[in-house]
Amino acid sequence: MSAPAIPLGARLRRSPGLVGLKREGAVAPVLAFVLFFVIYVAINPELLTRFQLQTAANLVAPLALVALAQLLIVLVGGIDISVAAVMSLTNVVFATQLESASPLVAGVLAVAVGMGCGLFNGLLSAYGRLPVIAVTLASSFIFGALATEVLDRPGGAVSEGVTLATSGELAPYVPVALVWVLVAAALLWLLLQKTSLGRHIYGAGSNAEGMRAAGLNDRAAQLTAFVLAGGLVALGAILLAGSTATGDPKSGDPYLLNAIAAVALAGASFTGGRGSVVGTICAAAILGLVGNVLFFAGVDSYWQYVVGSVIIVAVVGIPVVVRRLSARVKGASA
Amino acid sequence: MSTVAAPPRPGTDTDGDAQHRLTEALRRVPAAAWPLVVFALLFLIGGIVRPNLLTLEALWSTAAFAMIVAIASSGQTLAVIQGGIDLSVPNTVTLSALTFLSAVDGLGAFGAFVAAIAAGAVVGLVNGTIIAKLSLSPIVTTIAMNGFLFGVVLLTFDFSQLTDIPRFASDITSAKIAFLGTEVAAVVPVGLGLLLALQALLSWTGWGRALFLVGAAPDVARLAGQPVDRIRITAYMLSGALAAFAGIVIVGFYAQTSTGMGAPYLLGSVAAVVVGGASIFGGRGSMIGTLGGALVLGQVATLVAVANLGVNIQQLIYGVIILFVVALYGRRARA
Repeated sequence: MSAPAIPLGARLRRSPGLVGLKREGAVAPVLAFVLFFVIYVAINPELLTRFQLQTAANLVAPLALVALAQLLIVLVGGIDISVAAVMSLTNVVFATQLESASPLVAGVLAVAVGMGCGLFNGLLSAYGRLPVIAVTLASSFIFGALATEVLDRPGGAVSEGVTLATSGELAPYVPVALVWVLVAAALLWLLLQKTSLGRHIYGAGSNAEGMRAAGLNDRAAQLTAFVLAGGLVALGAILLAGSTATGDPKSGDPYLLNAIAAVALAGASFTGGRGSVVGTICAAAILGLVGNVLFFAGVDSYWQYVVGSVIIVAVVGIPVVVRRLSARVKGASA
Repeated sequence: MSTVAAPPRPGTDTDGDAQHRLTEALRRVPAAAWPLVVFALLFLIGGIVRPNLLTLEALWSTAAFAMIVAIASSGQTLAVIQGGIDLSVPNTVTLSALTFLSAVDGLGAFGAFVAAIAAGAVVGLVNGTIIAKLSLSPIVTTIAMNGFLFGVVLLTFDFSQLTDIPRFASDITSAKIAFLGTEVAAVVPVGLGLLLALQALLSWTGWGRALFLVGAAPDVARLAGQPVDRIRITAYMLSGALAAFAGIVIVGFYAQTSTGMGAPYLLGSVAAVVVGGASIFGGRGSMIGTLGGALVLGQVATLVAVANLGVNIQQLIYGVIILFVVALYGRRARA
């Protein structure tokens, strides 16, 4: 593609991957992740041992999947308050179904329930034309009530086999949870980038009017995003049930704000149409592991909340400040 | 797609005219009154099912619970009206309650009260400045703030030492006041006074009117010469201060503290605001509406408890009510 005369730096800057990341606002979170990873390994080289890789993967995986689900909703221009409740619900459905059904059946059921929740939200938002945030606020009460109805206290029957299949090791140094996340992320990336449905999902968030004018169905795209998001949340809930070896009707609660925070950290636009799968995974890894890094650095782990929020505001805010300043400098020189 | 229906001319069609007059009359009812009407209906239904629910005592007990939710949602109402949202309410509540308790020994009750409110206002100032000046999304900013405050609360306060609830806090909340031969918790008149004052601020001051304009059409507000950033920042400051006040009220009324004491008010405050008829996109809302919303949710909780249906059913009904209200008010204007 590039002529040999073009210097390496310029060629890199024009490479499709980097252009894509830039357009989707994911450069800052990817850089932040690289920096974060270097600091982590410098403080604690033990991360690269089998056991710690596995623990870290189990910590990050559910958040990454829920964050990907939230990303889908943010892409179509909404924000999903109900992810926490859907996560709790699918988590307890999976854990209780294991009492009688095989892990596969229980897993499929949980994903189906998750997609059903997505369908409910999606129908009301896309076809009922109600604001997404209000619909999902309402449904989070409903799904949360259903979760406690299914299982009112931590329990269920998560067997050792399930735990191994969701949070063990596929091969030495390859945590299963990481594989699940990467497979889901890769499929989602292919869907979003390489299929027309994926482009419609971006389009529904950035320019629904334009889509309709072009004769495309923005509502169907929005509905699909909701259903897929429900499935992703369920997958996250299954991994969480596996790694904690229990079902818990409150297990989703911490993920509500964290998933939104991860999507924000990923540089996604909350007005829709902009956001990246790669950036979201990087962001979830950062937020999921802040506590670990501080622990190994000998800092009170309560600092993780402070540091996490400062990272979010810094990574999201610094590009804004830089853009403003550079605009001002250019304006002054012009 | 949409056809513009010409309004029927007065006097041309008597049948349609009567209907028109009815819808017009209904439209004239202030939006904030509807939640109160629904509450009154629910209160009567409760009375039909259980006559002892149709007493002043029953009203006061629901009102006390609802008033706490309404106070915690008052700041949220301001944030929503100006076109944002404040998801840092939960940990602002916790921060303020604990600041109040730990400052009482050094500063006295009133000094501690001022310190706690000031802490909330500072939280709001930071929120508002980041949102207005850096144009970060309000959801992201306040979520980050909520996380930040959680860390601050965990790192700063020693929970085991904060068990004494000062008289001042219970005097303005759980202390009983004789009224018409019944006893009402002090939080009801205190909250009512606060909400009416805030409603007056919204309805009758330039700042209050500008808040609605900033929420409905920020560009228009800017063109009209309104200091949009300053209005936003003061709204978040007031929201933080009100959440802080709610923290003192909550610790005074329930007389206990925990790291999660503010958590129910994350979705609870937004729910009360939405059921109160505010638009989640800004530009519409009222304190009286929010109070009505909190009363409706509170009366549902009372009815569910009396019918012995359990918290799950209560939450389920909350969800259905929110959906119903959103379906009534919240249709997006454009198709």
